[in-house]
Amino acid sequence: MASGKDSSGSTLMDLITSDPSPAPAAGASSQQSSSGGPLGRPAAAPAPADRKSKKGALTTLSQIQNDTITAAKAFNPVKALPQRNRKKKPVSYAQLARSIHELAATCDQKSSQRQLVNSVFPKLAVYNSVDPSVAPSLLMLHQQCEDRNVLRYVYYYLARILSDNGSQGLSAAGGIPTPNWDALADIDAVGGVTRADVVPRIVDQLSAESSSDDIEFHARRLAALKALTSSSTSNSGMLEKLFEIVFGTLEKVADTKQKRKKGIFTKQGGDKESIIRSNLQYASLSALRRLPLDPGNPAFLHRAVQGVEFSDPVAVRHSLSIISEIAMRDPYSVAMALGKNAQPGGALQDILHLHDVLARVYLAKLCHSISRARVLDERPDIKSQYSSLLYQLLLDPSDRVCFEAILCVLGKVDNTESTEDRAGGWIRLTREILKLPEAPSVASKGILSKSEKTSKARRPQPLIKLVMRRLESSFRSFSRPVLHAAARVVQEMGKSRAAAYSLGVFDEAANLQSYSDNVESLDSDINENSQPEATRKANPLSNGYGGLDTIAGLLASLMEVVRTTVACECVYVRAMVIKALIWMQNPHESFEELKSIIACELSDPAWPSSLLNDVLLTLHARFKATPDMAVTLLEIARIFATKVPGKIDADVLQLLWKTCLVGAGPDGKHTALEAVTIVLDLPPPQPGSMSGFASVDMVSASDPKSAMALQRLVQAAVWFLGENANYAASEYAWESATPPGTALMMLDADKMVAAASSRNPTLASALTRLQRCAFSGSWEIRIASVQALTTIAIRSGEPYRLQIYEFLHALALGGVQSNFSELQLSNGENQGASGTGLGSLISPMLKVLDEMYRAQDDLARDIRQHDNSKQEWSDEELKKLYETHERLLDFVSLFCFVPRAKYLPLGPTSAKLIEIYRNRHNISASGGLTDPAVATGISDLMYESKDVHKEATTMQSGIDPDLAMAWAAGLEDDVWDNNAPAVDKVKDFLAGAGTDAPDVDDEEYMNSRPSVGYDDMWAKTILETYEAEEDDGRSSGGSSPESTGSVETSISSHFGGMNYPSLFSSKPSGYGASQQTIREEPPSYSTSVLQRRESFENPVAGHGGRSFGSHDDEDRSSGNPQSGKALYDFTAGGDDELSLTAGEDVEIEYEVDGWYYVKKRRPGRDGKIAGLVPVLYVNS
Amino acid sequence: MILAVLFSNSDGNILIERFHGVPAEERLHWRSFLAKLGADNLKGAKNEELLVASHKSVSIVYTMIGDVCLYIVGKDEYDELALAEVIFAVTSAVKDVCGKPPTERLFLDKYGRICLCLDEIVWKGLLENTEKDRVRRLIRLKPPVEP
Repeated sequence: MASGKDSSGSTLMDLITSDPSPAPAAGASSQQSSSGGPLGRPAAAPAPADRKSKKGALTTLSQIQNDTITAAKAFNPVKALPQRNRKKKPVSYAQLARSIHELAATCDQKSSQRQLVNSVFPKLAVYNSVDPSVAPSLLMLHQQCEDRNVLRYVYYYLARILSDNGSQGLSAAGGIPTPNWDALADIDAVGGVTRADVVPRIVDQLSAESSSDDIEFHARRLAALKALTSSSTSNSGMLEKLFEIVFGTLEKVADTKQKRKKGIFTKQGGDKESIIRSNLQYASLSALRRLPLDPGNPAFLHRAVQGVEFSDPVAVRHSLSIISEIAMRDPYSVAMALGKNAQPGGALQDILHLHDVLARVYLAKLCHSISRARVLDERPDIKSQYSSLLYQLLLDPSDRVCFEAILCVLGKVDNTESTEDRAGGWIRLTREILKLPEAPSVASKGILSKSEKTSKARRPQPLIKLVMRRLESSFRSFSRPVLHAAARVVQEMGKSRAAAYSLGVFDEAANLQSYSDNVESLDSDINENSQPEATRKANPLSNGYGGLDTIAGLLASLMEVVRTTVACECVYVRAMVIKALIWMQNPHESFEELKSIIACELSDPAWPSSLLNDVLLTLHARFKATPDMAVTLLEIARIFATKVPGKIDADVLQLLWKTCLVGAGPDGKHTALEAVTIVLDLPPPQPGSMSGFASVDMVSASDPKSAMALQRLVQAAVWFLGENANYAASEYAWESATPPGTALMMLDADKMVAAASSRNPTLASALTRLQRCAFSGSWEIRIASVQALTTIAIRSGEPYRLQIYEFLHALALGGVQSNFSELQLSNGENQGASGTGLGSLISPMLKVLDEMYRAQDDLARDIRQHDNSKQEWSDEELKKLYETHERLLDFVSLFCFVPRAKYLPLGPTSAKLIEIYRNRHNISASGGLTDPAVATGISDLMYESKDVHKEATTMQSGIDPDLAMAWAAGLEDDVWDNNAPAVDKVKDFLAGAGTDAPDVDDEEYMNSRPSVGYDDMWAKTILETYEAEEDDGRSSGGSSPESTGSVETSISSHFGGMNYPSLFSSKPSGYGASQQTIREEPPSYSTSVLQRRESFENPVAGHGGRSFGSHDDEDRSSGNPQSGKALYDFTAGGDDELSLTAGEDVEIEYEVDGWYYVKKRRPGRDGKIAGLVPVLYVNS
Repeated sequence: MILAVLFSNSDGNILIERFHGVPAEERLHWRSFLAKLGADNLKGAKNEELLVASHKSVSIVYTMIGDVCLYIVGKDEYDELALAEVIFAVTSAVKDVCGKPPTERLFLDKYGRICLCLDEIVWKGLLENTEKDRVRRLIRLKPPVEP
């Protein structure tokens, strides 16, 4: 994006050309807005003029040209150059171009040269692209001028012309936006110059120069080659030419054997010829590095391998980087090509002392690729050469190189390694014994571990000790990059350790000495190893750290240092440390310390939300690596929920709950659910109700924003509970054998509760929590709780269903509130005539349950009658029964997802009869597959094809089948719906992706968002969801309950974007159900739902007031919202207001104090869809 | 890959930027992200003290040299420490061109030269020359090593 480099009215050109004192001209600002937005305001991203297509109207283009020129003039009103020349020279782009033309003609004069170098060329650099029409003059300068400084600029600009990506004028360079030169040239009547005209000329001239052998001009040759490499490599002809030149040069300079002179830069040794050769070698390898890799080509590899022996360190670096990249794909040929280079005394050994950090980094990568290559299993000699090189790099003075070597040892190169690779890395780290290198020069490099090396050279050391010591000393550094990198290395170590743990090759208590002895005995060249076990244990390792001779001991001491690093003032370092701690946490260890560190960290307001979410995603990754840790991780996630509810992404958190719940396995499910629902036990964020809780449980939601976010979180938890309680409790109506209508029905409520909790404590406790929420939460939470309860009622067998039924019934009547009065104290809301204000919402739910019970009663009666009279069921009767069954199924599906094929609303006894009817009439039991809910396949995966998946799980060895089933059901990547942004985020994170630009974490920016913590792109998907909902509301406004079944398909598909994951599906979820409830009760509920959404959009929009009197609002605004049209433009003055464009259609929800609360059909540019506008602005 | 090299003044106005491999639509985000990072953290930072940040798998190292902020964004092999090498090369070249840690004015006076230095240090998203002397020679169109 060619955006202006300017802000607050001053441009870069102003800055450059202005004298230090005067302020920049204000006149420029109006033009700037057309050519580039001011920086630092991300919202302003105007399409730059140069992006207009060539087909644009002639007038537009000439307009652009004029604009640009005037703009450029305006950038620098009549201001003279700092260096006054004969004429006054305003520095518009056109003027610059003209002076280049003029000065090029007189380039033999010193003054012209000086002018070019001092004023013209530097200012041209400010623009983001170079006009091709300047090229002829540049080429002329290139041929005729002899001044090196001028020429250097000429190469620079020629390269920029070559590198321009097509006609867009969008080069990487940035700078003041320039127009599309080619488009301008096209309409220029006097034959303008396009890139297509000049590029071949430039290429020809530069190629000729770069292939010339004139020694005097070899510097120009280097520059020409470099400039040539800038040209686009997508052009195959160009590519061919470049390869030709580079290989041609290397042909001449690479083959001559020459010994590298050490320290060539400090002392310029060597004869002239070899230096020139070395320079050319550098230039051609540097060009080769920029060309696309050609892995199959032996010539390419050969040239790259030759580079290892060059004397120029940059050339060596490029060569190694090419080789290491090829080695990742084809280690065998690389190892063969390198041949003797890797042997002691070879070129690769020399690189250990090369004064170029990145060269050694690439060497580490190369060694890793080759030493781990399977294809080289036959050649252990080669592999050991490279591993020995890699281990020598562990002693490198540069942290960068050492860390790279550690990462290589750990098996981390990119993010594609398998668990086995990583586990192998951990084993390598913990068991390898490092023989210190024979080369004494490494030890003399003055590095951290120098003393111990010189003192006991040759003494074999456990690799891990060396690594630990190095890391510990890095953690004592003051440099933040070093701390950050060290923490990252520890994190990677944790990943490898987790991988080893998951593969069961984890053995930390073992004594290092025993390993070393084992290896020594294999090696059998060093001292006695026949000591009995006992003496060996008693004999700590040489450095005298008592108790440090186990890996666990070493790790503990490292982690101690890591923990102290939390004190670093930089949040990014702290975040990395916390991630490292999370990764180093093992399931069997106490995590109290980690918990308190995180809790303490989260109290710091300096944490940006993106970082916190990153840590949350780390929890995800940690869980994926070790599912055993589900409960621990949930405990940690809970800290996030309580401490920083406003900053974390509720969707990601919810996904974490879900994955952990699934991962916790059959035994841990209860604990996992408890950990999730603990969020519900949080005190509401009102002041005064926070006493009596431990510090971790204290809600830090002091400001309205985080209070809102906490509420959203609680709502999400309620939702989650409703959707997943049945899973966690393994209680399903369709799997329960208890027929209804038995003795349970006779029990009174108390006994029923007792019976229920004894049968299934998990579900019982979930019910209790939800029941409490249905009373004590805010309006939104109460709604969600009732919905969750209904879901559980429908999905559970007896006595839960009855228990919930009773509860809902009481709730609807409002009569029981006195029983719960103590819970309501903190609520402070006027419960209204119907007790909780939920009556209208509950009644359809009760109706369904009523119908179910009534139908069950009827069925029981009919069965009894038939039994008594020994009468067969007639087809007519069966048909009636089947129809009731189907009708109830339809009803039930409105509220939550149930597997249609298995669900029996009439109770288990009906199964046989329905089966008979189905068989008679050839109705497929899986007819429900047309149901979109079932079509998602999740239900079937989960409950019908259990066996199939058991087979599948045997392949994923080591994971318990229940978990695997759940993965298959809800978490397999391909089942993860693309619509769920949290899933995308987690997937991206797990894949190690993520180079996209960060969002600026701005307070105001956040406030204006509908929900806190969303990325921009998410906000978009959310808005789309809103739109869908809105459509629903409209389309279904007048539909009767009976017709809802028919529109269900379209409705459910609209809810694909719903962000609440459930074990069943995110699609036919209860929000859908609640929306469908609307259709049964259109007047009251639709508005409340809309308001609920809106109250999230506008945290400050008097939410409290609305929820307070929401019942009244409903009544007032009953019926369809009134439609209206915006009469004038209106710009929102606050968060609760809505910007309007004249003529826009809106729906008026209600009026308050001279303001309408209106809703647009689609979100405006600011992303808002609803808000307040003055009454007079809308024609109702 | 070095994704971005960016100079700004202390007010967050961008003076020089070089992106590589960053889609045009993301550059704006990077600019504002970096500017905010600098505004939040560079006040009171010591001259040439290295600060670090990260976003997903991307590392950012930034510093203040004279009155000018310098940010470098990289990924893969260009992690924090490699970026520290890059930033060291850039700051030493800038100091070499300006003769001292530059004021904004001085930086702008040497704008062209600094662009050339940058061209020699970071080229097509990869670190090229790191040595001050070598860069100084190359921007005068002399060979990297004098025969």
